[in-house]
Amino acid sequence: MNLRARIRGFIVDSFFVDDFSDDDSFLRKSIIDSLGMLELIAFLEEEFGIKITDAELVPENLDSLARVCAFVEKKRQLGTAA
Amino acid sequence: MCGIAGFTLSYGLPAEERRARFGGRLRRMAASLRHRGPDDQSALLLDGIALGHARLSIVDLAGGAQPMRDPDTGVAVVFNGEIFNYLELREQLRSRHAFRTRSDTEVLLACYLHRGIDCVIDFIGQFAFAIYDPRIRTLWLARDRAGILPLHYTETPEGFAFASEAKALFAGGWRTPALDPRGVKQTLQLWSPVVPRTVFEGVSQLSPGSVARWSDGRLATWRYWDPDLGVEPRVGLEAAQAEEELGALLEDAVRLRLRADVPVAAYLSGGLDSSLLCSIAQSQLGGTLATFSVGFAERGFDERAFQDEVAGRLATRHRSVLVSSSEIGELLPAVVRHAEQILLRSAPAPLLRLSGLVRDCDTKVVLTGEGSDEIFLGYDLYRETRVRQFCARSPASKSRPALLRRLYPYLPMSQQGHELLQQFFAIGLDDPQDPVLSHRPRWAASGRILRFLSRSFAERAAEEDPVASVLASLPARVRGWKPLARAQYLEMQTLLAGYLLSAQGDRMLMGNSVEGRFPFLDHRLIEFAAALPERLKLRGLAEKWILRRYAARWLPQTILERPKYPYRAPIASALIGPEAPAWAAELLSREAARQVGVFEEVKVEKLVAKLSARTTAVSEADSQALTAVATTQLLAHQMLPSASVPQREVDAVRLEAA
Repeated sequence: MNLRARIRGFIVDSFFVDDFSDDDSFLRKSIIDSLGMLELIAFLEEEFGIKITDAELVPENLDSLARVCAFVEKKRQLGTAA
Repeated sequence: MCGIAGFTLSYGLPAEERRARFGGRLRRMAASLRHRGPDDQSALLLDGIALGHARLSIVDLAGGAQPMRDPDTGVAVVFNGEIFNYLELREQLRSRHAFRTRSDTEVLLACYLHRGIDCVIDFIGQFAFAIYDPRIRTLWLARDRAGILPLHYTETPEGFAFASEAKALFAGGWRTPALDPRGVKQTLQLWSPVVPRTVFEGVSQLSPGSVARWSDGRLATWRYWDPDLGVEPRVGLEAAQAEEELGALLEDAVRLRLRADVPVAAYLSGGLDSSLLCSIAQSQLGGTLATFSVGFAERGFDERAFQDEVAGRLATRHRSVLVSSSEIGELLPAVVRHAEQILLRSAPAPLLRLSGLVRDCDTKVVLTGEGSDEIFLGYDLYRETRVRQFCARSPASKSRPALLRRLYPYLPMSQQGHELLQQFFAIGLDDPQDPVLSHRPRWAASGRILRFLSRSFAERAAEEDPVASVLASLPARVRGWKPLARAQYLEMQTLLAGYLLSAQGDRMLMGNSVEGRFPFLDHRLIEFAAALPERLKLRGLAEKWILRRYAARWLPQTILERPKYPYRAPIASALIGPEAPAWAAELLSREAARQVGVFEEVKVEKLVAKLSARTTAVSEADSQALTAVATTQLLAHQMLPSASVPQREVDAVRLEAA
């Protein structure tokens, strides 16, 4: 299963949402609540072996499926490169 | 307090026939309200009307029997609640009316005879009553201004029936209990149905501050009071003057509410409002006040340290009850039976336990602090509304949203970057004129529960948009008010009347036959607070500023400066895991969800699995969803099968046909 499908699967299972588009804002569209963001962050760290710093907790990185995928990809590449 | 019930019937029937045809029905209705009035239940069948009453004797223990009838006119009344200024009203009428008892019920009757139904505007109190006037063949219903006491009704081809609680309408056979899809959907998103709707099909509730008239087979309702929160603030009012006036009104509100022929005690949460009420009451009673508190074993919810401090300082006779998670699970079926509502939080449960403790101590009446946050702008919601407006004026600012973090130091969300929080509170900011802007984030959050609805149930409620229903219910003038006043109005109409005073208030008190009295909801105080300049209530982000200033006369710094602490109770640990009661596993099962049909069984199963495996804190969204599913399942299992009242309780209702 690819990265996008894994993250989407987690969101569907954890937040009971049926349908949302890759660019929907999680928070503004109430797909995930603020504590849910913590669940998502914990999932990303465990599932993809990355560490997310406080400075990275910004909407640009985390507030839609497309943004999360791009962010995780970038983190993994950086991890591999290092 | 008491329970009332009744219905219309055809005119001209002989007394014996009335008794044979309607006696059983009326007695079952009165008996089903026995918890509201264990001291006496009686029923009266008159030409054209049936009236039932369950009495909790508080004023004029000997003379206040109901239903009460005026011997000259035949006007009859059943009355639930208190008219606190009845002594003053009685004095005004004494020269024109020959009083036979000392009861407040007779004062109500006399006021009606002299002024007609408009007499309701003279009452300071909490009430729901029905008056039948045979001279004009009219049945009047009225409910207090804030909606402290409940009043339900239903129109059927057989006639018009009313009762304090929906269960009496079911017991009388007026309705077959069934869930109303629109009412369910509204409750899941807004925490309460939009009046007059309830979660039951065909059952309506009279709006707070309203009167209903049933005559010639037609119903008309109107509001005799609606808070004017857009009133022009009093210019030039100094803080010192405002504080004096507030003190005089609040002390009078407490004084009136200590009137009773039985002892009046008080709830003490340990927060500012209840601590202040207890101080004033203790001083007025000269040191005999008893106080009651809830403590929690789970530390995040417990406030006992503050309760003990206040009780110790005031030297009240203090009792508290410790409620564990497993007890909340065990209490929930009774909570739902009494509340007759779907809940999003478990907080009512400990209050049912607390009223049980009050009753065990032979106490029937307690003062309680609800309403202060609504009228003096105490909730975070108001501070949040102010910050969000502030942010909306400068959307690009990075520093303005940082204020939001200051609002929520006790929530885990402050551990996150505030920019994420900002996204959440940005909901609705695109339209600053939106009359429900203040409530959009909350409703968006609870609206997530709607994802759990089964396809078939969602289709039955497809026409319903809860937020649109609230918008449609707002009087036109509210749209012209300032954002904070609009937020306040919404809070009073939805959460206060629809949840805090009912599911978490009257119903949890009456479940154990205890009457609550609410000094902060004295309408003179509501009107006074509405006319205060905003800066005296919410000063910057300092909430209830003027009340705090006045409270400094009564309370120690530790209580005054204590960070605001929302009253909440645990839920996930109460319903899932080793301590959970047997009913929870059964009703939260896939099979049970399928049978009831409101929620999608697969999603319920997933939610339970997620919470069973949890290793971290449970999110608000999941807590609310779990509470909603569990209480809906309980409602369906307990209320929808035809409600039966034990025969010996029906037999205990005295019946008179005159």
